[in-house]
Amino acid sequence: MVKFRNAAAAFKALNGLICVYKPACVPIQQIQHTILTNLCRDLNVLPDRPHEKRVEIVGPTNAPMTVKLVPNYADNPLVCGPRYIKEDFRCSWATHLGLFTSGVLLLGINQGTKLTYLINTARLTRAYKIHGQLGKATDTYFWNGKTVEKSTYGHVTREKIDKVVAHMQAAHQKTMFEMSGVHMESQTMFDLAAQGLIRPANNNLPVIYGIKCVYFNSPNITLEIQAINEYDKYLWTIIHDLGVQLKTSAHCTGVQCIRQGKFDLDIALLRKHWQLEYIIDNMDQCRRLMEEHSLILQPKSAILSV
Amino acid sequence: MALFKLMKHTCTLKSLYCVNNAIVSYSQKQELISNITYENASSNSLNETCEDLSSFTPYYPKTFNLAAYINNSELLQNLLHLNVNLSKIEKKPYIAEKVLKLNSETIGNFILFIKDYVDANEIGNFITKNPLILYESLEDLSIRINYLHSKQFSNTEVRRIISKNPYWLMFSTTRIDRRLGYFQNKFNLCGSEVRGLTAKQPRLITYNLHHVITNTFVIKEEMGFEDQELKKLLLDKPKLWMLNQRALLERFKYIHNVMNIPHSIILLCPEVLLSRNFRVKQRHMFLKKLGRDQFDPKKENFVPLKALVEGTDVEFCKKYAKCNVSDFNTFLKTI
Repeated sequence: MVKFRNAAAAFKALNGLICVYKPACVPIQQIQHTILTNLCRDLNVLPDRPHEKRVEIVGPTNAPMTVKLVPNYADNPLVCGPRYIKEDFRCSWATHLGLFTSGVLLLGINQGTKLTYLINTARLTRAYKIHGQLGKATDTYFWNGKTVEKSTYGHVTREKIDKVVAHMQAAHQKTMFEMSGVHMESQTMFDLAAQGLIRPANNNLPVIYGIKCVYFNSPNITLEIQAINEYDKYLWTIIHDLGVQLKTSAHCTGVQCIRQGKFDLDIALLRKHWQLEYIIDNMDQCRRLMEEHSLILQPKSAILSV
Repeated sequence: MALFKLMKHTCTLKSLYCVNNAIVSYSQKQELISNITYENASSNSLNETCEDLSSFTPYYPKTFNLAAYINNSELLQNLLHLNVNLSKIEKKPYIAEKVLKLNSETIGNFILFIKDYVDANEIGNFITKNPLILYESLEDLSIRINYLHSKQFSNTEVRRIISKNPYWLMFSTTRIDRRLGYFQNKFNLCGSEVRGLTAKQPRLITYNLHHVITNTFVIKEEMGFEDQELKKLLLDKPKLWMLNQRALLERFKYIHNVMNIPHSIILLCPEVLLSRNFRVKQRHMFLKKLGRDQFDPKKENFVPLKALVEGTDVEFCKKYAKCNVSDFNTFLKTI
């Protein structure tokens, strides 16, 4: 942990990317607001710069006047307001996470907003854990929706789930090639496909690279998914589709983002650690991580690397 | 403005350069006008003058901040020396305007009056919270304090009421009387209980009554506390009546329906209702994962309800969860 001598040095250090753990049911805007207000609070208690002085020329104008150096009252934080306010910071997120999604969230602060743009356009893969429940379907495909269907699920076994999930993964490989931007029946496409997994050229369609069932205890299931361009509602529908293909019904009970590119849960900052020292520490960790893997921000080839 | 333009014509460049300090008072303006007319009649306006022009300054420009005026205004400087946060006052322009129109004498009298009831280093905070109190007449204020004494509030209680609630003295005695009466009737309190409640949370008495009524409804009808229990809650944690009712109900629903804690136990530890829901939730889920969620005092491995809200996470893990705090942090990253 770095201790800062004054607030100005700390503010200058606040340039870069941070990786926070977003709790479920808290919107991203609120997280942004909390982090920035916490930063302002911590910066304002650090030792301040010395108060400014002002020059006053006083005395009658028809006689020699005196020049005095007096304290400038207007520079007092009680008069002009706290030294650091929320509007002094720029902050943006790399990719959006829905309201009910929890997990890894990348935020850029000040100069870091450029990095979040690069991360967004580099389209890093994200890994999710999706929790679902069999036996009930809702109109929103999520636990907060109205129940539209109930069914038995005693016949569902681990093997059946694995079979359906493997089939879904294979079906998604086709979109991967369609999204590459190359004509499907060409030699270039063949050369690309021979190399392995490829990245999408734009952000129109969700592309899923892997689905795996990691936990099954009827009626609860957990899937692990690696994807690009996905969004929370799309992930909910996967659980719903799974339920239909298993000849029962299912709804999603939770979505957790466990990895984005090289940023995983280990370096994500918990809500209680959203304070100046921890944030600067985290910024350093993220910077080191990006230096080690400099290619993730500006990928040179279409091959999927992270 | 026209006056200033005139002045510009008559003064020489050199004298204009020296113009500073103080505001032009009305009498000075009159003097200036007579001077100008005299000068225009007698001599060329471009001639040098040998008068003292230091008392002439341009008008103050319009501003959004009191900081623009403070170097020239003794009043604002005095307020600053009292530790009044002017940057907060200027957030409401109509109040800032009123503060500028005060005079130092009123402030002095007010401080002499209030110093018996508010600590010296708290006066700045007091005025920051409620600057309009400087516009109340001192007679009214002493009547309102006499009212408290007449209702058998002790001196320490009066001090606490006034210093904890800067808005108390803005309320007329009839309004305060009506509100105290409301709380007495609604919750069946006796005289000493009303005094205890007022001294404990003076802000509740002057709080928005509509909010108090809805919170009473939430606690009584939606949560299902009995009248006697309601009274106990009010005297124990009056803050409950000042919370957002939706957040309050959400907390209660989690504690009562998910954790299965009956009303009688919640009543023994009402501070769980004051803590934010996620705090209770994450600690409870962790205990449940460890198999330690045992809130019944008659069985072994009892964890008091208080453990879910008080202390830091390190203390909680050491004392009740019996594990390292890093385990708790890892758990938090799985929900």
